[in-house]
Amino acid sequence: MTRKNDSIPADATAPEGLTLSRRSFIEGLGATAGILAAGSVPAFLSATAGSATASEPTAEGDPLAPIIEEDNAVNYPGKPVKYADPAGDQKWAMVIDVKACIGCRRCVYACVKENNIGRNAGFTYIQVLEMEPGKVDLDHAKLDYAEGGDPDKWYLPVQCMQCAKPTCVYGCPVIATWKEPDGIVVIDYDKCIACRNCLVTCPYDARHFNWVEPEVPAAERNPRVPVEEKAGVVEKCTFCIQRTRNGQTTACVEACPVGARKFGDLNDPESEVSILLKTRRVWRLKEETGNEPMIWYVG
Amino acid sequence: MAKKLITTTAPGVYRIIGVDFNIGALKSAGKRYWLFVALLGIIITLGIVAWGTALANGGSVMAMRDNYPWGLWFTNYMYYVGLSAGGLIVYASVHLFGAEQFKPLSRLAVLQAGVLVMLALLGIITDMERPWRAVYMLLTPNGTSPFVYTGSAANIYMIICFVDLWVLITGFGGKKLAHRMTLIALPFAIYLHTTTAFVLSLNKSRELWNSAVMVPIFLTSATASGVALLLICAYIMQSLGVFKFASSMFRSLSTLLATVMIIDLFLLVVEILTVFWPTSSKPGHAIRFSHFFTGEYAWAFIPVLVLGFGAFALLAGRKTRHLPTVQITASIMYVVAVFFKRYSLMAMGFSTNTLGQYSSPYFPSLVEVLIALGLLAVGLMIMTLSAKVLPLQVPEDEHDEEPAALGAGVEPVVEAG
Repeated sequence: MTRKNDSIPADATAPEGLTLSRRSFIEGLGATAGILAAGSVPAFLSATAGSATASEPTAEGDPLAPIIEEDNAVNYPGKPVKYADPAGDQKWAMVIDVKACIGCRRCVYACVKENNIGRNAGFTYIQVLEMEPGKVDLDHAKLDYAEGGDPDKWYLPVQCMQCAKPTCVYGCPVIATWKEPDGIVVIDYDKCIACRNCLVTCPYDARHFNWVEPEVPAAERNPRVPVEEKAGVVEKCTFCIQRTRNGQTTACVEACPVGARKFGDLNDPESEVSILLKTRRVWRLKEETGNEPMIWYVG
Repeated sequence: MAKKLITTTAPGVYRIIGVDFNIGALKSAGKRYWLFVALLGIIITLGIVAWGTALANGGSVMAMRDNYPWGLWFTNYMYYVGLSAGGLIVYASVHLFGAEQFKPLSRLAVLQAGVLVMLALLGIITDMERPWRAVYMLLTPNGTSPFVYTGSAANIYMIICFVDLWVLITGFGGKKLAHRMTLIALPFAIYLHTTTAFVLSLNKSRELWNSAVMVPIFLTSATASGVALLLICAYIMQSLGVFKFASSMFRSLSTLLATVMIIDLFLLVVEILTVFWPTSSKPGHAIRFSHFFTGEYAWAFIPVLVLGFGAFALLAGRKTRHLPTVQITASIMYVVAVFFKRYSLMAMGFSTNTLGQYSSPYFPSLVEVLIALGLLAVGLMIMTLSAKVLPLQVPEDEHDEEPAALGAGVEPVVEAG
């Protein structure tokens, strides 16, 4: 069983890696950043890194520099997020070990509770897909698989990737959503006009519209996260902004029984995510869209 | 000349900003006319009640969900914006290419274009849960969002249409200004339909939409359905005695229609080939498109092909294409085909979501249907009242065609809508 599972992500990595390095070669000079690209053109990357963001606290020659560099604020209006501290100098990222994931959906449930997702909403921020062995084929993935999971399948948790090039933020007609300086994509519930264009532009189905007024039992309410404001607007995963900006980790990371999720700061070279990105062969979902997601998978 | 805002030029005729509003004509209107207006009034009232329900209850009364974030309102937006093109293109060809045979249609065409775009915009407003937030489109527009371009283009285009109508009716600025207005309006019509297509095609997240051919397909479908609608309108008005047109005008219209139709169908076939050809077929595209041939969406897409090619075949027949019955049938077939096409286009982006999850076809809820019907009734009401009150017929001295006689004014575009 383990051997079977082992082989799958390896299969998956090969084409992703090939596409990535070929593309960055063609586009010339690392418009697309990734592990392989970073390894192949380090001289160029460190040259641009120095000129563009001299204030960035990244060390010279840091292989993650090009990734961190691209993860900038987009459409950031400079106003604070109501229910969280202001952004620090971190660059948040997540790495998910799909070899370890058993598809138990504990992250999904923890997330629903932490983020006051309406129990009647019909969506969750995290969607765990049951994948067929042998390929990364979303078109044959199953979202509503039986509770508990099947040891012959593998599981791919998908949520908001906090993309470095967020198509949702580009698509919002009124700048009601933006990317904070620490990389978290947030939504202004008081400004969203409910056009749902971000649901259309997101390649990861990570955004969800509150078609009904969200109902959260009073006893289960998280006082740190709004509820009423979310009626009739779009919401999504925020890397638990109310926790992570206070030094805590995300609810999904905390809930994972097998430690498949790692969350941390790419600006900190000693963080788990930094070490994983530098030492493991990682891949990202839908690399071909060029959204530069900030969640990596490793298998 | 007149300093007063409202002057009376004849009994019952009021001149406001140079336009003669023949309110008196309403008094002489027949029973059938008022019955129809009353019916429209009832539908509009139902629509307002439905909109109120939607505002009070939010999205829960809609059939749209995360898998179908856009529904009937968006189909109608594309459809109405498209239909308004035809009118304008016919009108523009009068001024720019000297197609004199279309001249009697010019005022009607511009009015139709303006009203249809207005319906498209009202459709967006009635879909919003908090319509007042639309003001952010003006306060903080985002330059990378196609919505900003299509929204502003539709608003400006609507204004251009109504100003144009005013110029045509009052004769203000003479032929020169009318010509210049056309020079602005025609590129703007194309711009509007291009940006509408961009709302779909500029999405790398949605596989079947992300194709450059989407823009020309939008333009050709728009022109074909718009010309077809104008042809139907013209026949209805002729049969009601509102206008009289030369049969050569209908022949020109249907030739134009057949030409645009076949270009439209050609682009569609090219796109289908690209999706399924072994050397270009991508699994994501093929899986999504196959639902539209053999799956649960076939009812929406197969009619596009059958009605489309059927309509072209009717107009292609040399011996029969001059017959009014053939022209009307082909036009109706194509207007219906384009509606199905708009629905299919929307569903192609949504039927299988970005994580590969399939969902069954979307059907609008009662509230959505009532809102849409209410809006349609608003459009018909404007056209019905305008047919009586506004001087839509082009005066005799301005063209050499048959004299246009405003007859016992019955609703002009009733069946056409």
